[in-house]
Amino acid sequence: MTVLQAIRGAAGRVALRKRMMVAYWFFHTLMAAFVAVPLAGVAVSNLGHSRYGAELARGFDLSWLVEVYFYLQGGPLAAILPMVLLAVFLLFLGSIFLSGGAVKMLVYDGPDYSPRMFYEGCGRYFWRFLRLTLYSMIFYGTALILQRILRKLADQAWGEGMEDHQLTIAGWVVSGITIVLFALVSTAMDYAKVRLVTDDSRKSLRAAFGSMRLVLTHLGKTMGVWLVLMVFLAVFAGLYLPLSNWLHGGGAGKILTLILVQQLYVFGRVWLRMMAWGAAVELDPFVRPKPLPPLEPVFVPVAPGPEPPEFLAGATAEPEV
Amino acid sequence: MRFVLALLACVACAHGAMSRQVASYDIKATLDTKTHIITGHEVLTWVNDSPDTVPALRLHLYMNAFSNSKSTFFRESGGQLRGDQFKGDEWGWIDIRKMELDDADLTGAIRFVHPDDNNADDRTVIEVPLPRPVKPGETIQVSIVFETKMPMVFARTGFHKDFYLGGQWFPKIGVWETAGFRYSTAGAWNCHQFHANSEFFANFGKYHIELTVPSPMVVGATGELKSRTESRGRTTYTFEQEDVTDFAWTAQPTYLREERMFLADKETTPQEVAAAAKLHGIPESEVRLSDVKMIALVQPEHREQMERHFASLRAALKWFGLWYGRYPYKTITVVDPPANAAGAGGMEYPTFITAGTFWKLPPESRLLEEVTVHEFGHQFWMQLVATNEFEESPLDEGFNTYSTSKVMDQVFNGMGELPLRFMGVNLWKLLGFPGLRSNSMNRAQYLLFPSGDNLLRPAWQYYNSTSYGINSYYKTGVALDTLEAHLGHDTMARVMRTYHQRWRFRHPTARDFQKVANEVSGQNLDWFFDQFFFGNRQLDYSVGDVINRQQRTPLGAVDRNGKRVVVTRKEAEAQDDKNDDNKNFKKQYECTVKVRRLGDAAVPVEVWIHFKDGGTEKRTWDGQYRWVKYTFLRGSEIDWVEVDPGRKYALDISYANNSWESDYNIRLSTSWTMQLLFWIQNISLWMTSLA
Ligand SMILES: [Zn+2]
Repeated sequence: MTVLQAIRGAAGRVALRKRMMVAYWFFHTLMAAFVAVPLAGVAVSNLGHSRYGAELARGFDLSWLVEVYFYLQGGPLAAILPMVLLAVFLLFLGSIFLSGGAVKMLVYDGPDYSPRMFYEGCGRYFWRFLRLTLYSMIFYGTALILQRILRKLADQAWGEGMEDHQLTIAGWVVSGITIVLFALVSTAMDYAKVRLVTDDSRKSLRAAFGSMRLVLTHLGKTMGVWLVLMVFLAVFAGLYLPLSNWLHGGGAGKILTLILVQQLYVFGRVWLRMMAWGAAVELDPFVRPKPLPPLEPVFVPVAPGPEPPEFLAGATAEPEV
Repeated sequence: MRFVLALLACVACAHGAMSRQVASYDIKATLDTKTHIITGHEVLTWVNDSPDTVPALRLHLYMNAFSNSKSTFFRESGGQLRGDQFKGDEWGWIDIRKMELDDADLTGAIRFVHPDDNNADDRTVIEVPLPRPVKPGETIQVSIVFETKMPMVFARTGFHKDFYLGGQWFPKIGVWETAGFRYSTAGAWNCHQFHANSEFFANFGKYHIELTVPSPMVVGATGELKSRTESRGRTTYTFEQEDVTDFAWTAQPTYLREERMFLADKETTPQEVAAAAKLHGIPESEVRLSDVKMIALVQPEHREQMERHFASLRAALKWFGLWYGRYPYKTITVVDPPANAAGAGGMEYPTFITAGTFWKLPPESRLLEEVTVHEFGHQFWMQLVATNEFEESPLDEGFNTYSTSKVMDQVFNGMGELPLRFMGVNLWKLLGFPGLRSNSMNRAQYLLFPSGDNLLRPAWQYYNSTSYGINSYYKTGVALDTLEAHLGHDTMARVMRTYHQRWRFRHPTARDFQKVANEVSGQNLDWFFDQFFFGNRQLDYSVGDVINRQQRTPLGAVDRNGKRVVVTRKEAEAQDDKNDDNKNFKKQYECTVKVRRLGDAAVPVEVWIHFKDGGTEKRTWDGQYRWVKYTFLRGSEIDWVEVDPGRKYALDISYANNSWESDYNIRLSTSWTMQLLFWIQNISLWMTSLA
């Protein structure tokens, strides 16, 4: 299976789950609103009835940010900060929760969306995915250590020089490498999630390491998909940014259009997330050898799709890759 | 007193000099680039232009601030200044090998003194008792043999690889302040130790410096290059400058050195000259600028930014010149220090400034222009008007912040963008952030610490270095903006020019500026200076309660045609209902506005009350009590209220509470909340893809 086939297959899978995507976007937005609304409320509270608000909307003044910080310092900030931190933590847990349902729905290509199945997936896989996230820290940590080592090396080579272009360029290169390393880990975690769902396994640690090996051994395919999706993201951002800059600071019509465009962009990103999981689902059977009877491979009929996960559950041992 | 001084001044006035040349230096110095040591012989010519008999000399040995971690400079700074850290073991120091007056050897009599903090380990000020006191009007010549070890550069002066910046590098005499001079009540030396948060103070004089360096070095310095002679791999540069307070130099073999001429008649239009002459009521000949040779020493990797340095100098020479008076020197040199020597950047010396930039600094970011204009501005606020930077840093940094912002906003349309880049991508532009206006940046920084200190304090006595920075630079900038809004542009322009012209080549104090401001404006501005310059009052006006009460039929015993009639509740309600149904009935409202003074600064302020019928009531409140109440009986409710509608008081710590309007700004809250939501959604989706 080629990268483009995987993308096409993922697009088909995702197209079947439109309602699920809307639900995913909705809950995501709801969680984000829990953080955004109180924060914005506090920030804007001193402007709601002030004529300064209209002035700021016309031309933003940096000094207002400090003014509002000074105004909040006395109490509201201290009160709201723990709340916001808690909300961000819940947002984090919530996004793990939702991904369980989403991956399940993408793996299962039976009849159309059933909300019950989605929520079941959310609950069923939450703890495994959470553990997976914790294990992923090992890889992210390694990537960060690597980044620091590279930075140190660059610093040793050029840090004390008379010119700053070498170190600046080195900094860009190191940032690029770090992004690719993070992408690698994140892709591996996508495969790990798919594996936990298709195998209905609880072994998150094995899934994490197995998927990491899988991604590294099939670098072209797995990261090829990532690259294509990044191109999509760049196109979305390229469309969004100029439009939003043009819509900023306009009247009611422009504000509403901007809100619409923003949510379209967010929806585009939700789609990309689904595509990433969907592509992992597509590629998974091809990159992960199944422990088949070694003598009679010819007899295995070519299945139109992967078998339902229930069949696989517990039927096979954890495959070693 | 001043009359006596004026007479004595002639003693110090050399032929053709613009200043009283009290302390002049003739130095021959050689730089050894292997040891980073300068060996020098200095002849200090000092004129006692006071009516006092001076028994001893005091000199700065600034370089000893870098001699060890026990110096006052190191104790205060912790070995880091303006974000630059002292690393490694290349310390700096200065030793006086021999000191003679006439034929008397003073070397043995030198002792270290610590007038500011009694730190016995600080060796930045010496006192030398003289064999016989210096009489009023007498001139002495002191011969000093010295050796200066340059430190690794992190605070203005020192070296980095083969880059050298020589500042505060030679023994420099303090300022004898006789009674009546500045704040002095009795004759004494003003010779402060080298502090972390402080710059310098010196008399004017004539400098003749012969500096010998290895021949490959490209050299720049204060003043005009008079000669350049080479012998056996070494080159001696002779620089001269009259009417300055200091001398600094730089050397680096790889500098790109270029010159351009500032041609006054090309840079200014006749209309600009005429407008300035008219504004100040002076002849055009007095306004006209003079030609200046601009020299730039730029790092090779900043080659494409060469012209930006000249453009900044042009803008500054022109506008500072037109506003305050022509730049009187023949040269100005701007230095771009290399990477890892940023501590040497952003510094001012007479006719010689250091700027700073980054590789590929985008043209939209005006950091280079801002720092160049600012450091040039010190030629006016520090050099020409030579205030005491130790004791009144706002007079140099703050006045310069105010003037620099004006040039930046006028010529470069503000600060532009910040260089916010990720992997070379300009995020500032990508995300559509707006351009930055300088005065708004000043206010933003002022708001970080608005009234924790008096604006004016000895530089090392502010709460911390942040407060030093905020008060010396930004708060003063905002305070002068406020003064300008109060006086109007033209009056403020006259105040500034008068102050500059009156105190050019002299040493004023903040009180002298206050006097000029009062005199030129014809107003008593003491309330302003007392609260904001010499005090630490916080300004915060706010709209308090706004109440619109519709007039109802009066209840109870009322007089009607001379008879007492009791109007019952029922009758009144019935009458009110009737009135409400009657379209022609003119409703009356009792509208009350309370304006509050939340801060402890009290200033006269305008209050505008706008009604829904389109009318506006304007009041002026003296702000003396904590609040004021205005009541109106009108046929319409209040639409909005604004305190200080002209935004005169940029010192007000909150613009948001200065106004109130009846309609809630739903458009703003919706669009900002949705904007924030959008960013949090994005962050959350990144978290999802990483988790
Ligand atoms: Zn400055």
